[in-house]
Amino acid sequence: MAIRNPADSTDLRKAILKGVYDENLRIDSMVPDPVTARRRRRRSRIGNPVLLSVLLLVAASSLAGFLASWNPAEVAEPVAVDVPAEPESPQITTVEVKVPVPVPYAVPSAPPRPLFVLKPPEPVEKMVEVDFSREKLLDYSLILNNSQVRLSSLFGLDVQTIIIDPGHGGRDPGAIGVMGTKEKNIVLDIAKRLRDRLQESGRYNVILTREEDTTMSLARRVEFANAGRADLFISLHVNALPQQKVNLIETYYYGPPSDIETLKLAEQENRGSGIKNRDFENMIKKIGNTFKEQESATLATAIQHSLFTNVKKYDKDTADAGIKIAPFVVLLGVDAPSVLVEISCISKKQEELKLNLPAYREEITTFLAEGTVRYLAKRNLQIVKGEEHDQKGRGKSS
Amino acid sequence: MTKKAAAKAADEKIIVGIDLGTSRSAISASNGKRTWVDSYVGWPRDFIARKVVGSSILFGQEALEHRLSLELYRPLKNGVIKEGTARDEEAVKELIHHLISLVQTKKTSTEKVRAVVGVPAESFKVNKVALKKAVAEFAESLLVVSEPFAVAYGVNALDNAMVIDIGAGTVDFCIMHGTVPSEEDQRTVLTAGDFIDQQLFNFLEERYPDSDFNLNMVRRFKEKFSFIGEADRAVKVDIPVDGKPTKHDITDELRRACESILPAIVESTLELIAKFDPEYQDIIRQNVILAGGGSQIRGLDEYLENVLSEYGPAKVHLVDDPLFSGADGALALAQDMPAEYWTDI
Repeated sequence: MAIRNPADSTDLRKAILKGVYDENLRIDSMVPDPVTARRRRRRSRIGNPVLLSVLLLVAASSLAGFLASWNPAEVAEPVAVDVPAEPESPQITTVEVKVPVPVPYAVPSAPPRPLFVLKPPEPVEKMVEVDFSREKLLDYSLILNNSQVRLSSLFGLDVQTIIIDPGHGGRDPGAIGVMGTKEKNIVLDIAKRLRDRLQESGRYNVILTREEDTTMSLARRVEFANAGRADLFISLHVNALPQQKVNLIETYYYGPPSDIETLKLAEQENRGSGIKNRDFENMIKKIGNTFKEQESATLATAIQHSLFTNVKKYDKDTADAGIKIAPFVVLLGVDAPSVLVEISCISKKQEELKLNLPAYREEITTFLAEGTVRYLAKRNLQIVKGEEHDQKGRGKSS
Repeated sequence: MTKKAAAKAADEKIIVGIDLGTSRSAISASNGKRTWVDSYVGWPRDFIARKVVGSSILFGQEALEHRLSLELYRPLKNGVIKEGTARDEEAVKELIHHLISLVQTKKTSTEKVRAVVGVPAESFKVNKVALKKAVAEFAESLLVVSEPFAVAYGVNALDNAMVIDIGAGTVDFCIMHGTVPSEEDQRTVLTAGDFIDQQLFNFLEERYPDSDFNLNMVRRFKEKFSFIGEADRAVKVDIPVDGKPTKHDITDELRRACESILPAIVESTLELIAKFDPEYQDIIRQNVILAGGGSQIRGLDEYLENVLSEYGPAKVHLVDDPLFSGADGALALAQDMPAEYWTDI
């Protein structure tokens, strides 16, 4: 080969040899040079369990901050609760919420604000009291507190429209692997496959939030899902972790802090003799939330189970992060039961390689579809079961 | 340069350059010997296996053949020593020992060895120390350099040049600008030769579901016929169907498989060049060197040249001897290294 640079001189050669020598001396003494030392330290931190846990803690607390700063008024009615005159009652209650850690979305680091502010009692005009007997109240709390009763089966709710949301897209590539594989492309491909799969049965109308590589804000996705009257909403994402060996599969849904509302409501129910207008609204909303939460949790369980057990067969290093609760915007905003699935982990090289193969993406689609279909089937089954249960009950009483 | 240095060193010391690859490892020695083995190391599973294979350790093709009796390791799979497994480190150690013993002549087996080892750029980043430890026993003194850098040194492309070393497990990129390349000047992409094999295997399986072939056969098809762009003629290979060898046309599948590694290569090449000093980007673009087994894919140099030409004049060179370019480069580096440097290492 003749790529001889005329500029090549023995000096250059000497300098390079000296460089190689210096570098190897460094390796020998294991004393990192000042320039790369910082970089190396930053990298090694990833492997350090202590520092890692600190990082995770920071992430968790910032997420909690975000949660606290999230204004419930955006999604729901303001939760201002009247409290009877008690001088000792606390002025401000901050709510601690346990939050799972790996966060796909950037979390704004807003200063934590209290989630619920209990207003000091004001001299209120007399509220319009609604006639609402204690028995009805009892009925309602039964529905909410009985985990056996699923609202979907109670009301015979059926799924028609499933909206699948391939995360990121357009200017936002999502996570990027070492080889340059982009999350947005992977999830779009899998979303399309999943749509085809679910549509095969002819029972469901499946829509994607984006068909192409287009930029789409989270708000737009929520709007789209609500306008499209989604009965189920599945958001697809790919994990990226600082540890490069783990394939972490996890599924999120949004549950609490509606539990806090439940608590507050329960508290009121016990205390109050009458129910106020506002509470009635709350109650209706609560039933809606409970429905969404129940269904989201069941769907999340089904998908997570199917995906994890199957992927585990291929890759023993797969970790099950399980079902988690987190306030992702898409999960919060969409009215329908909604889950967010981290289908794979692009930060693991082998996983990235596999994600590039259509065959593997098809496999993942199969697992996702299986989980979803199992959930849908279970739902129908429960309606039947519920009826059976009803009849048994009746038989006993008669 | 090499001849003089070789003559000087030959009296008692042997100097070697080793290219530690994912798929194949090669060695070039100052005594003129050159050889390579597949990067497999196997230990017999038990004493029966030990008796069957007749050796306590096997390497390369031999190890592959006896893989049923062996615990087989491909220690540099994916370009790095897998961490946490002592066996992998030991495998690297044994592999290097084996390579050195191949070029040593019997009567001089006590001679002192000075070695420069080229390792995949990524493993260079991750565990240089582990590699050095692995080799320390067998060589009096030893230097570790990144593989594409060794190639660059060997072809004397020390300034304003770029080496793309397409191996089995990794494609390594390295920009040379008159100094030892830093981590920023190097990049590794994992879609390389093995990836082509897997792709081709999948494509063929899709098209010829009834034919019997394995990854090994597919690799041989690739090594023999690989190309991108227009095919000169149809690629037809013998694959048994129900035991009967039958001609299969694999032209399209082969092209698709070979082309599947292009996007990542092009992207990394353009990115690395774009990051470089704008004044010299033109020169680098005309000094792109393709090395490694993957550089033998027909039409690859032409394709890269075309892509790069959109940004300005470009020239892509091929190394003469892809299998040994790394080892030869490492040897050249070892021989040029002043004696006083060796003594300290």
